[in-house]
This record gives sequence, C-alpha cells and structure tokens, in this order.
Amino acid sequence: MNTETEWIEQARAGDQVAFGRLVTAYQTPVYNLSYRMLGNASEAEEATQEAFLRAYTHLRSYDPNRPFRSWLLSIASHYCIDQLRRRRINWLSLEDEIAAPDGPGDAGRIRLASDRPRPESVVMQLEQEDRVQKALTGLSPTDRAAITLRYWYDYSYEEIADTLSLTVSAVKSRLHRARRALAKALEGEMMYAV
Amino acid sequence: MRCDQAAEMMSERLDGRLDPAGVALLEEHLAACSTCQDEWCRLQMLDGLLTSAPMVQAPVRVRVGVMARLSRRDQARRAIIGGTALSLGTVALTLLALAPLLLNVLDVTGIAPALISGGPATIVQLLALMGAVCRTMLALLESFAAPLVFLGICSLAVAIALNRLWVGVVGQMQATR
Repeated sequence: MNTETEWIEQARAGDQVAFGRLVTAYQTPVYNLSYRMLGNASEAEEATQEAFLRAYTHLRSYDPNRPFRSWLLSIASHYCIDQLRRRRINWLSLEDEIAAPDGPGDAGRIRLASDRPRPESVVMQLEQEDRVQKALTGLSPTDRAAITLRYWYDYSYEEIADTLSLTVSAVKSRLHRARRALAKALEGEMMYAV
Repeated sequence: MRCDQAAEMMSERLDGRLDPAGVALLEEHLAACSTCQDEWCRLQMLDGLLTSAPMVQAPVRVRVGVMARLSRRDQARRAIIGGTALSLGTVALTLLALAPLLLNVLDVTGIAPALISGGPATIVQLLALMGAVCRTMLALLESFAAPLVFLGICSLAVAIALNRLWVGVVGQMQATR
C-alpha cells in the first residue's frame, strides 16, 4: 500500500490529518482547474475548497481502482461547470475581474507554479496568462473544461470523456470547436507572440 | 477532402490521434489549400501557447480554509448530535419524574390523550388509559360497597331478629305442649 492509498484509507476512517495531506498534495491541480474554469482567483479558491469538502464527504464512494487525482478533478470540473451555468446571466468580463482584486495588496493576482522568472518576464507572462484566460472565458463551460484537462493535465480523450461524463466522439468535436474559437480569439495575440 | 474534414484532422493531429495515413491525407490537402494552411498555422501557434501556459499555484490559505471548514462542520455535527441526545434525555427524565402526575392529569382531563400521538407518547397514552380504567373500577366498587355493607348489616340484623322471634315462638309452643 503506497502513501496516498494509506492517506485515503485513513481519511475514510475520519482522520482529518490524513485528508489534510491529500489536500496539500492536490490543491494546486484542483485550484488550477478551478481558476482556468472560473477565471477568478477568489471563486477558484471557493471552488477548490468546495471540491475538497465534497470529496471528503463522498470519500466512501471513491473507487480505489481509479486515480484519486482524476476523481478529484472530476468533482471540481462538475462543480465549476455548475457554477458557470448558474452565473451565465451575470457573466463578467475578465477585465472587470482583474480590475477588482480579491483582497489587500496583490491577493487577487494569480501565482504561477513555475520557477520565478525575472520581473520583465513576469509581466509578459502575466499578460499572456490574462489573454489566454480571457479567451477561455469565451468558451462554453464544458468546452472550457475539455481544453483545460487536455492542455494543463495532458488528459487523453478517454480520460476527458470519463471526467466530464461525455463520449470520446463528443470530446473530439468539443476540442476541435474549442480550438477554433480560441484561435480566433487569440489571433492577434499569437501574431505578437510569433 | 473538404476543408471542414481537414480542420477536424488538424485537431486530431495536434492531439497525436491521427494515424500516418491520415497525416498523409492532411498534408496533401494542406499543400493544395492556402486557407487550411493558414488555419493549421494558427492552430499550431495556439497549441504552443496553451502548452506553455503554466499551472496556477494554489494559495496557502486554500488548505487552511478546507481544514477550517471541515473542523467547523464536524463541530456543528457534534453539536447537533450532542444537543439532540441532551434534549431527548431531558425529556425522558422529565416524563419519568412527572409520570404519576401526568397519569392523574390525563385521567382527570381526558383531553390530553387525544392531543398526544405516536411513539413514546402512545405508550404514555396507553398507561393513562389503563390507569383511568383501574381508577374507574375502584371508584365503582367504592360507590357500590357502602350501600351493600349497610344493606347487609340491616339484612343481617333483621335476619337475626326474625331468627330470635322464631326461636322464641317455637320455644313457647313446645312449653305449652
């Protein structure tokens, strides 16, 4: 039995310390997915916390034969898709979200998991991040989830289909449609990048 | 091949799901179609942009928040369970302490049983009914016992007097013979 399996078993028995270790191990993948889906740091935090709470509540229904990360990301994806559908009417633009930080100082600004680059590179990287994120917000919730799982988690069609409860054929067409929409939205930006 | 078919194949190729025969077909179409060549360039640039986009790191407060919410939820659950147990225990002890009084009240009023229904209340109701029946029977016995005793004593006195009279009469008759 490996460490993760032990933590899961202990958490199933009600050990919150063991569950805390799982949170530490998977908070960044879940948070990144939530952020890519919702496009807002504070909502991503809330979604991440909610996904972990739901995972803890339903830990007994978790199938140990399935990767824990996939199960967790599936919970987070469905939660984010629900949230996006609920707020469809009051859709916010990315500019509004970036202009309204979530707390004092730079609390609303995202932090990247990569190595810390030089300041000018940080600015460029953040600008590129903003552009990508803005383009993602133009996609439907499910297309956004499919693209996120494909690019940030290197999921196969089958894994995306399993996570989002879709057929492989639907994943293929959604990725194709999402790519065309993103390419159109980022056309000008990509010209600069080149 | 039509351009829309080629576009789908481009997406599959980016995902590494296009077989060599499909790749050859796509290349053949791209060589002859400038529109699809432009599209292929755009998709490749997009692929590079998305592939290089980093993972957004979770703030430390995410874990703290999860653990705090878990702790609060457990506290709330414990409070509900503890509160329910305490309330049930208090009610049970109160009912136990007040049982004799309640039985009397139920017996006297006769209204309360109609208001109580279901579960433990039904048991109390049945006990009250039994109490009421017993008390009614005792009351009936009490109400009938006094007259019976008086009549019995009177009857006995009359019987004794008549018996004495009869014995006297018989004794006089025998004496005269």
